[in-house]
Amino acid sequence: MLSLTLGSIILLITLQLFVDINSLLEKETDVFAQDCVVINKNISVLQSYDKEGIYFSEKEIDELESQSFIKSVSPFNVATFEVEAQIKGAAGMSMLATELFFESIPDEYLDVPLDHWVWDEQSNVIPIVIPENYINLYNFGFAESQNLPVISQKTIEQVAFDIRIKGQGGRGSFRGNIVGFSNKINSILVPEEFLDWANQQFGKGPNQKANRLLVEFKDPSDEAILQYFNTQDYSINENELEASKLKFIFKTALSFSFLIALVIVILSITSVLLSFSLVIQRNVEQISTLFLIGFSLATIARYYRLVLGISTMLALTVAYLITYFIHELIASNLSNYFAWKSEENYLLIGAIALFGVVFTLGQWKLVRAVRGVVQA
Amino acid sequence: MLKRVIPTYMSAEEVLPSEVYLQEEVRLQLDKRYLLLAQSGDGKTSLLNILYGCNRHFHGSVDYPWSNSSAVDSVRKEKLSYVFQDLKLFPSLTALENIQIKNALTGHKSEEEILGMLERVGLKQKSNTLAASLSLGQRQRVAVIRALCQPFQMLLLDEPFSHLDAENSTILADLIHEELEKQRAGLIMTSLSPSNVFDFDQILKLSL
Repeated sequence: MLSLTLGSIILLITLQLFVDINSLLEKETDVFAQDCVVINKNISVLQSYDKEGIYFSEKEIDELESQSFIKSVSPFNVATFEVEAQIKGAAGMSMLATELFFESIPDEYLDVPLDHWVWDEQSNVIPIVIPENYINLYNFGFAESQNLPVISQKTIEQVAFDIRIKGQGGRGSFRGNIVGFSNKINSILVPEEFLDWANQQFGKGPNQKANRLLVEFKDPSDEAILQYFNTQDYSINENELEASKLKFIFKTALSFSFLIALVIVILSITSVLLSFSLVIQRNVEQISTLFLIGFSLATIARYYRLVLGISTMLALTVAYLITYFIHELIASNLSNYFAWKSEENYLLIGAIALFGVVFTLGQWKLVRAVRGVVQA
Repeated sequence: MLKRVIPTYMSAEEVLPSEVYLQEEVRLQLDKRYLLLAQSGDGKTSLLNILYGCNRHFHGSVDYPWSNSSAVDSVRKEKLSYVFQDLKLFPSLTALENIQIKNALTGHKSEEEILGMLERVGLKQKSNTLAASLSLGQRQRVAVIRALCQPFQMLLLDEPFSHLDAENSTILADLIHEELEKQRAGLIMTSLSPSNVFDFDQILKLSL
């Protein structure tokens, strides 16, 4: 019974951790799971003269898409027009002006809240996402050296600036608003809808050539990913892949302890069954006499079933309570590090299921043993 | 009804003179009283065990007046009662408890009736004594009373008086007789020597 309690504790806690870690990894995508990475071609000296080499051909994109571990490949959409941003001070004087570029990716790959990520032709405002790095570069590098004040993300989000667009198709002027900061994508992003429209309107039409690809993996912990990119002449941030391997390591470790717990539980179930056999063997005389004077097998087994039920229930209740507290402890620890709360609790279901398995097996063994005694 | 019955562990030569074993057909009627007469080792207990369904090691067939597929525990609760030669009492229970455990199953007798029977066989003072501390003769009486605490159509007695003096045997025989009359049941009793305690209808010899 002690071993059953112990095995159940380990099994239940591993099960729950498995569920927790999975949900943690799913929610905290920007912390752990890099399901998407950006790839581009390495730029050599030669390509400084011949730019064509930096673009991905149809064939290359197809080949990437055909890899078993790749879920989707989407090219970055690049603006084919010039962009200038200005912040105006009092009396319409331009305080700060800079030339920019725009890119876009499908919305689902963005790692910022999409609340303000809308654009339509009527509204003059373009939502923009910039890399979080930019603001860090400014705050910790530029602002320090120029003796300028630091600015927070919130402040930047308050600032609206003018966007001027100049291209083959004419000029346009808009308002720009920074709505988020991306950790994942190192580019200045606008909604895809806007860029398609603007490329049509001001630029050279839809952009055909892709120089950067956003690759989404089915399972970022797949070994084949690293192998494949090592053989290709693509530039990829390996750190991103390493980070995604964390998931794999977690899963492996948990699977391993799950396996061990399973072995312990199986062993303890076996020992429970064995000890029941022993109890019955010790009472062979009584059981066979009871049967001889007219007691049915079911009546005889009922007593032992009760003992089995109570002891299993006891073991699993203790296991459940202990795992419950351990889990609470782990969950509160984890929530110190991540904005995450354990939502699904499988401990009770697990304990009930285990009880079901042990009790059913025990009962089966019991009836067999009792029958064995009376038929001997 | 028994047809060509012989325990698997007995040879044809051993049972040669038997009036039961290997006989084409032996009919035992539920309202008759039979005495099984044989020497030790000639298969008296085996025959009772075969009839009671707790010895399956035999060739031939046994047909009952009730369905052959009826559950063995219900047969033992309602049709057949058996006083085993080795008594099969629970040594860790008292004399009374040994009887009560059976009566709890059948609900055949009241507490008073049980105590009355114990009194008649002179065991009232011993009713709370552990079966293990009773003498063989006392245990024999407890086992018989236990066997009477159920409805039955046939009572199987395996040398029930082997450890009793004449006086106690008579008291016990009267008790059994009354129950047989009350239940209009038959009886099969084994014995080493001829006896007529129960006005037997037929004597079946298993050996010469």
